Amino acid sequence: MNTTISMAAKNLRKSFSFYVLYLLSVSLVITLHFAFTSFSMNQVMLEKISSDGRVESMCSMISIFLMAFVVFFMTYSNRFFLKRRTKELGIYALLGYRKTAILSLLTFENVLICCGALCTGVLLGAIMHKGIVAGITALLRLSIDTAQIPFFEVNAIRKTVCFILLVIVVLSISNGRFLFQSSLMSLVRFEKKAEKNMSFHFVPSVIGLVMTVLGYVLALDIFRGRKSLWLSVGFYQIGLLTAMLILLGTIFFISSFLPYVMKNSKKNKRAFYTETRIITTPNFVYHIRSNARTLIMLTLLSAATLTVASVMALTLYYPIASVSRMAPSELEFRVANENQINAVKRLVNQYAPGAAVTFIQTDIYKITSSSASLPMEYSAGSAKGDSQNEKILRDIGFECISYTQYHSLLLAQKKDTIADQIPALNDTECILVKYQPNADGSDESGSVYSLNTDTVSIPLTVRGTTLHNPISFANSVGTLIVSDNVYEQIRASAAPKTSILSINGKALEDNEDLFADLSALLENSPYLQGNSHRLHVIFSLNSSTFLLIGFLVVLFFIATGSILYFNNISALTDTKADYEILHKMGYTNKAIRKIIKKQVFTFFCIPFTFGFIDCIFATIVYKTGLMQNLLGNSLALYVPTIIAIALTASIYLFYYWLTVHSCCKIISKL
Amino acid sequence: MNALLRAKEVTKTYEKAQRPSLNKISFCVADGEFIGIMGASGSGKTTLLNVLSTIDTPTSGEIWINGINLKQLDNASAADFRKDHLGFIFQEYFLLDSLTIRENISVPLTLQKLPPKKIETMVQNLAKRFDISSQLDKYPSELSGGQRQRASAARAIVKQPSILFADEPTGALDSSSATELLHALQEANQELHTTILMVTHDAYAASFAGRILIFKDGNIIREIFRNNASRRDFYESIAAEVAKLDTERQV
Repeated sequence: MNTTISMAAKNLRKSFSFYVLYLLSVSLVITLHFAFTSFSMNQVMLEKISSDGRVESMCSMISIFLMAFVVFFMTYSNRFFLKRRTKELGIYALLGYRKTAILSLLTFENVLICCGALCTGVLLGAIMHKGIVAGITALLRLSIDTAQIPFFEVNAIRKTVCFILLVIVVLSISNGRFLFQSSLMSLVRFEKKAEKNMSFHFVPSVIGLVMTVLGYVLALDIFRGRKSLWLSVGFYQIGLLTAMLILLGTIFFISSFLPYVMKNSKKNKRAFYTETRIITTPNFVYHIRSNARTLIMLTLLSAATLTVASVMALTLYYPIASVSRMAPSELEFRVANENQINAVKRLVNQYAPGAAVTFIQTDIYKITSSSASLPMEYSAGSAKGDSQNEKILRDIGFECISYTQYHSLLLAQKKDTIADQIPALNDTECILVKYQPNADGSDESGSVYSLNTDTVSIPLTVRGTTLHNPISFANSVGTLIVSDNVYEQIRASAAPKTSILSINGKALEDNEDLFADLSALLENSPYLQGNSHRLHVIFSLNSSTFLLIGFLVVLFFIATGSILYFNNISALTDTKADYEILHKMGYTNKAIRKIIKKQVFTFFCIPFTFGFIDCIFATIVYKTGLMQNLLGNSLALYVPTIIAIALTASIYLFYYWLTVHSCCKIISKL
Repeated sequence: MNALLRAKEVTKTYEKAQRPSLNKISFCVADGEFIGIMGASGSGKTTLLNVLSTIDTPTSGEIWINGINLKQLDNASAADFRKDHLGFIFQEYFLLDSLTIRENISVPLTLQKLPPKKIETMVQNLAKRFDISSQLDKYPSELSGGQRQRASAARAIVKQPSILFADEPTGALDSSSATELLHALQEANQELHTTILMVTHDAYAASFAGRILIFKDGNIIREIFRNNASRRDFYESIAAEVAKLDTERQV
């Protein structure tokens, strides 16, 4: 037993540089696991951020996913190392070691690695957990006594240790199966197996291409609005069909189309007979049989990582960006009686004495129209199932405010540039505030709406539409901006009036206490809206979800990067003799490095490119089909998605650099 | 004949080694010569091949091939030198598994940046000579050992190197495949005037050469010339010399 332990320790010491990335990856995975487990067991935090048990159930779901993933990742990496050491194990067997003794040796090595990774992981995980707690506390301005949260959560340590023990058992079973199924001869004479010569046919190759393209075309069909299959057939049916087409298409594309194209590219002799390509192209075609499965798995993993990252970024950013429309003023409420105004002003003054605060009272007049074609905003929110809050159904009609009021509100809301751009209105014109752009891209500009007052009918031509509503949707939908003269004319009629008080000022920002007092003062009126308050609500509701999804994304990154790394190193080690031959034939080190870079690049490029394209289409479908289009189709909305993709790309680049560096190091001794 | 290869007092001592692997070796190889290097394991044969082929550098002494002093080559120019002047055949074939035989043979010509059409013609012609025309589109794993070694020889000869280094080329072959290969090498030597330096343990393989250098403990201890003797007679004289050496070793 002592010999086995000392041999295992010696082996690890000798191959430290070889095992360092594995150790690092396992440590990182355990760090995440421990931080996550500590977080999910942190009652102090959970009490603050989860009132309905949503975070707890999400934690347990992610926990299962996380554990399954760690087992997969470690089994995969373990197999990789085992394959590389087959000959060495064969020699042990030849020297008289029983297979059980060899299995014990491997198990001890795994125990040592896991112990090292566990210590590092628990320490880093505890620090990470503390960081997460501090981050959420600061973000949500929670009042938490951090002294109540221990640095090491004992239950989390217990759970992690049990889990690691389970992993070691799984690894030992996997190693045992390999050892007992291999004969002594196959261990000693273990050589890289020759690949089966594959012929790549035209039909499956084209099927791969057609299915992939069809999947993407189907995804783009969502832009056709009402005519789209996504609406006519059903979102989930078409979603499933698109996903299946892209999945099967990706499988055929990688396993048939790409090698078919590469094989045929050899016919271009001038391009093929070059120093690098004569090696890399046949290499790709020859190894595709054994590489296809890994490449497909990595592609799907990359697509998932990128899609989750970009959709998460979009989901986080979109509601935040929408707050400027949902609640454009810092504070806003519907005035029920004049006394409220003075009481509110006194309260605001208590919180921000002497600060520059604007109070703008806007009287909105509800006017019906008899025009044949009216915009959806005219009747929006007036029927059950059409309104977000069915307790406050609105009456149909345009809600008119004057040009001057609109201009003043925009200035108070610090939207000076937009205020400067509003076109001047004559008495026959109006501006329609859209709830969201029309799905078919049309615009109401030029439409004529006849406003019916009790005395006259006022025909107004829509000069333009805007998404910059000055009043929250809770208080006004279908806002129509009319000239000051027309507004006076309407005011003189007996049209129903609603008064809104909009309060703006820097000193009022991020003041939850003020909002709470105001809400109490207004008897929890659903018409009280606040910009900072809404942001606070969004952060409170979503931060834990994003944090948990963030764990998964980071895990995906580690998995994809490490598998790519191990695969490339493994492939290079298997073909090291080939590089020796090339070296002897007269290939310079620079040329060999170029070949390695190109081969590694192909391996990184296929999953990333596919993942990238899948992510773009998935994000488009998600944004168009599942998100409200409150902000139009501005490219600026995709900035977080672009940042998420750029971050992913930079992580890929880092792993690419690391892989190329390690591969070149292996062949530098030629 | 002109001296194609000239080695002068070449010594190679590895770190921590008690004695040099090559000890002040001097010899010449004439242009178009087929020379055999024999000796027991550890006598310095492979070290000699490595220093002659620029894969390793001698501790002292000088080597000229085609008038080029190998000492003056840096890494990049040594690679260019191997590309332009040297061919290799190894015991383990060392064909590139992922390339077809046609592609394997084309690699050295591609490195010399020859036009594709010329590459294909040269490969086709040489394949005929080595009797592997029908195997050109197969992968190495689909060929027999003899066919693989002939493909390997074709790859080494196709660029018409100044000198071909063969390291135990028949070591992994059965007797008939070995004979086929040796005939092919002899043909290349006689018809294409390829200079060949072959390291071998086997007296039969060595008998295809025109001259034999026998190594022991890093020194050349015998030199046997074939002159006009038949291959059979030459084989017997080599075998006798090897037997004598073995006897001396036993004593």
